[in-house]
Amino acid sequence: MAEKIDDELLVEKFRRGNKSAFERIVKQYSADVAALANRLLGWPGDVEDVTQDIFLAAFVGLKNFRCECSLKSWLFTITINKCRTNRYKRWLRMRRFSQEINKVSLSSDSEEKHMDTDEFRHVRRAVAALPARYREPVVLRYLQEISTDEISRILGITRNTLNVRLSRARKLLKEDLAELIEL
Amino acid sequence: MTEDKIKNLIQRADKAAGGIAPVEVNVSAIRRRAGRKNIINFIAPLSAAAVLMVALSILTVMFRTTEPTQEERKIALLESKIKQLQTRTDAALSLIQEVLKDEQKQHQLDELRAQLASIPDPLEDVRQQVDKTAFILVYEADRLYNELNQTDSAVENYNRVIRLFPENRWAKVARQRLSEIEKRKTDQTI
Repeated sequence: MAEKIDDELLVEKFRRGNKSAFERIVKQYSADVAALANRLLGWPGDVEDVTQDIFLAAFVGLKNFRCECSLKSWLFTITINKCRTNRYKRWLRMRRFSQEINKVSLSSDSEEKHMDTDEFRHVRRAVAALPARYREPVVLRYLQEISTDEISRILGITRNTLNVRLSRARKLLKEDLAELIEL
Repeated sequence: MTEDKIKNLIQRADKAAGGIAPVEVNVSAIRRRAGRKNIINFIAPLSAAAVLMVALSILTVMFRTTEPTQEERKIALLESKIKQLQTRTDAALSLIQEVLKDEQKQHQLDELRAQLASIPDPLEDVRQQVDKTAFILVYEADRLYNELNQTDSAVENYNRVIRLFPENRWAKVARQRLSEIEKRKTDQTI
């Protein structure tokens, strides 16, 4: 509740032309937004451009923000939309240049950097390979640990739909990661 | 159970990926880009509208210079029909006006004829006067001959009637009287 009041105050300050208000919003939420973008985009490691785009969209749309949900949820909604666009653009690029496929499938470069194990790389690939409608609930629920109500609000779907999508996502992951789960 | 396992696995994989490099969000760049976006958002619809207007005007001109549409053809046909009807109506109106003028003239002529008919014939008047004068002369001559026995005066009057009004019926009577007087004279001498 206190967070929501702070959000409303920040938004009001922004509307009244206080320049520092947006900087405070960026400072407060950029890490969370970047983390979510990183997970939704399949752990590429470098999400600075996407984060910049997300906050640009927030800057443009903040005047119309009606404080019906928390600022964080609103920013997460923007993040999801931007990540969808980003993934789509990347898919188009991949389709056009076949060499790109190898590069992307090796988003691996960064993974190797972190001395990642093959198993965890396999898990992340499985999550990244999920269709967007299943991947987004999985990331939001299991990695961001957001409540189902909040997720349904962010994604604009009902709670039942969310549960169905989570269940189907689990089913797909279970099939893909059967060996790891049984271990 | 499986859900927990999956959740756990995903979280561990996420952790294993390591954190992301600290993100530097450039607020001033965002402000500049937002400004540009605002300008584009303002100009784009105007440009689109302008392009649309130009395209529409070009299309309109093209359609006008090329074949007319079915609607336009219908309108043109209707317009020509209206013009034909107008000319016909004008012709009919002028004809009606001419007929009305003729009728008016005829009416005036009839009125004049009626007026002329109502005026008494002066010749008839003269004829009556002549007839009356001839009658008076014959009557006077009859009186002179029958009542006053002035045969010469009576004969003179009869001759005057014959001389003055030879075509009149009383001239005929005067001739008859003269022949009677002549016959009586011959009878008396015998």
